[in-house]
Amino acid sequence: MEFVLVSVLNGAVHGLLLFMVSAGLTLIFGMMGVLNFAHAWFYMLGAYIGFTLTRAVGFWAGLIAAPLIVGLCGALVERYMLRRVHRYGHTHELLLTFGLAFIIEELIKLFYGDFPVNYAMPAYMKFTAFTVYETNYPFYRLFMGGVALVMFAVLYVLLTRTRVGIIVRAATYRPVMVEALGHNLPRVFMSVFATGAALAGLAGAVAGAFFPTGPSMAVDFGTLVFVVVVVGGLGSLEGALVASLMIGLFISFSAGLNWSLADFLAAVGLGGWAREVGGLLTLRLSTVAASMPFLLMLLVLLIRPAGLFGERQ
Amino acid sequence: MKEFWTALVLAGVSFVVPWTAQAEPVKIAIIETLSGGQAPVGKMFLTAINYALIKLKDEKVWPDGIVVLEYDNQGGPSEAADKVKAAINDGAHIIIQGASSAIGGQITEDVRKHNLRNPGKEVIYFNVGAEAMEFTGSKCHFYHFRWNGNAEIRLRALLTAMKDTKTLGTRVYVIGQNYSWGHDVERLVKEYAKFGNYTVVGDVIHDVNKIQDFAPYVAQIKEANPDTVITGNWSSDLLLLMKAAGDSGLRVRFATYWMDQPGNVANAGATAIGHFNVSSFYPEANGEATAKFADDFKAKTGQYPVFIQGHTVHGIWGLGEGLKKVRPGPDGKLDVKQLAFAMETVRVNTSMGEVAMRKEDHQALLPLVVATVSKDAKYKVDGTDMGFKPVRLISGKDAAGPVQSSCKMERPGA
Repeated sequence: MEFVLVSVLNGAVHGLLLFMVSAGLTLIFGMMGVLNFAHAWFYMLGAYIGFTLTRAVGFWAGLIAAPLIVGLCGALVERYMLRRVHRYGHTHELLLTFGLAFIIEELIKLFYGDFPVNYAMPAYMKFTAFTVYETNYPFYRLFMGGVALVMFAVLYVLLTRTRVGIIVRAATYRPVMVEALGHNLPRVFMSVFATGAALAGLAGAVAGAFFPTGPSMAVDFGTLVFVVVVVGGLGSLEGALVASLMIGLFISFSAGLNWSLADFLAAVGLGGWAREVGGLLTLRLSTVAASMPFLLMLLVLLIRPAGLFGERQ
Repeated sequence: MKEFWTALVLAGVSFVVPWTAQAEPVKIAIIETLSGGQAPVGKMFLTAINYALIKLKDEKVWPDGIVVLEYDNQGGPSEAADKVKAAINDGAHIIIQGASSAIGGQITEDVRKHNLRNPGKEVIYFNVGAEAMEFTGSKCHFYHFRWNGNAEIRLRALLTAMKDTKTLGTRVYVIGQNYSWGHDVERLVKEYAKFGNYTVVGDVIHDVNKIQDFAPYVAQIKEANPDTVITGNWSSDLLLLMKAAGDSGLRVRFATYWMDQPGNVANAGATAIGHFNVSSFYPEANGEATAKFADDFKAKTGQYPVFIQGHTVHGIWGLGEGLKKVRPGPDGKLDVKQLAFAMETVRVNTSMGEVAMRKEDHQALLPLVVATVSKDAKYKVDGTDMGFKPVRLISGKDAAGPVQSSCKMERPGA
């Protein structure tokens, strides 16, 4: 029971954090069809801006300003770079954002050095929210989960219940018609991209204070956010939330379990043989926990190629 | 008159000889990770190597000087293999590499095979950082020299110091990364249970640098209820583990191999206090001597030597001692085989004590220092108010484990 409860708590918050980082990516893909490779690097940018502003003005100011600044960067990237290569197709967009990722990383290293920086949450947020079975549960983890949930709610309402949402969604399916109705389509796209980048920036500012803020933080998340988006279904916000939670729980549970194939074989009396053979048979689940998302992605792609909530295109 | 002519001819010849014999500098190829995620570590090696070479050049250990070639292995074994070929084509005599046992494993095998196939054109692999046991075990060969510690040497030092200060406890947990290095540490911690008088209450191996959330692993550690957690983790795997442990209120002592990597202490914050780390150098480790070395290093490179830089400098100085023992052959060239024989018995006097190469497996016996993160440390790190306060300085002889029986070194005929 203790194991299940602690694993659920850990996994759910990790999943929500994953959602926070990947929400912008799925939004941009769903609404614009652009696969933004540099997304995790916007996340890193957000963390570093948060770090800088925390030192200069304070933690909360950083938390508010980081998404705004990263969003502005996103808008500029869309306006002056992506728009120019849009007509050459997806490959060019992907290559452009790929290059952008390198540039952001090198620039950050240039200004902040090669090693992690000391981005910490304010001391008054560093307390234990509650204790389960003598394990302290830090308040900040709850805070991160809360921010992710609020982010989801706001995005969901914005897209499904407001006029802006209608225009954005319509622009995805019937861009010519939307333009004919007098809406400025390029501006819609620019704001969508900026919003997506801003979400990554917010995630960076929030999570950077809990996890290390360093030059490798983007690479660490880079592949995982794509897994989330693919599993959830490209472009689906609900899908991203469900996929993130699944991945978080998957990792959390498998990290806590020391099962190996040998244990199963032991049930049928082959345990000794399996341990002698070793290799894959004695590999423990906890050892490959971080590979679980990729296994999940493989299964989803085999069974539902469009992802859990994806629409067949 | 006759003598005069002879003298004149001899004088002329002595002028001409260097031209015809083509005296040659020693070529050192540094094959490090200079781009990508692990580039910071590669650059630290580079700084230390270049600092150490200043002394070699000042002492003119080789009459025709030393040429340094730099190659970027881009953090992967396959690129490293290409760069080994390139370095050999460029005429390198010595290949130096440190960051990552995975890359080092490739290089040591490539060098071994090259030397088998090209007698007379041997190259030496100078290992300054790869610490997996196999380098001086099953993969050991005559042209590999390791100047850093290894999983066993460092563990012995850690256990000795922590036993001495009664900080080890009797329940030990080991957590490591899923590759040769992590497996070595796990196996050794179990083997040394008697030496350290403890029981291993749990062990776990996890993916390398892929896990963002260590909370599930911390939950496992908590369940096992250890006094001390020993880990060979480095980079973000170490940092995230320590942070997650601190956040969950887990009361254990960490004994680590790599906590002094820059950024770790700053990022872990007060959580790091009281944990132990073993290193080849701290400015406070040996009084005046180490402080003087640290100041000189800082004057020339702009930073105090940290992390892997101490033993890297000592190793390159060892190369200088070896080069002093061999002289250019009649063709003016360096005979790498002779250098390798000379290197086998090299001793270097350093601020930490004597570093000596062990002939049997080419593992350097180097002094190590075990320190604890504390606010009392004289030299603060990462711009924090914390630093590494030495607990014990352990001589190379005391830290050294026995020669591994798996090392079957074949020496060429001199």
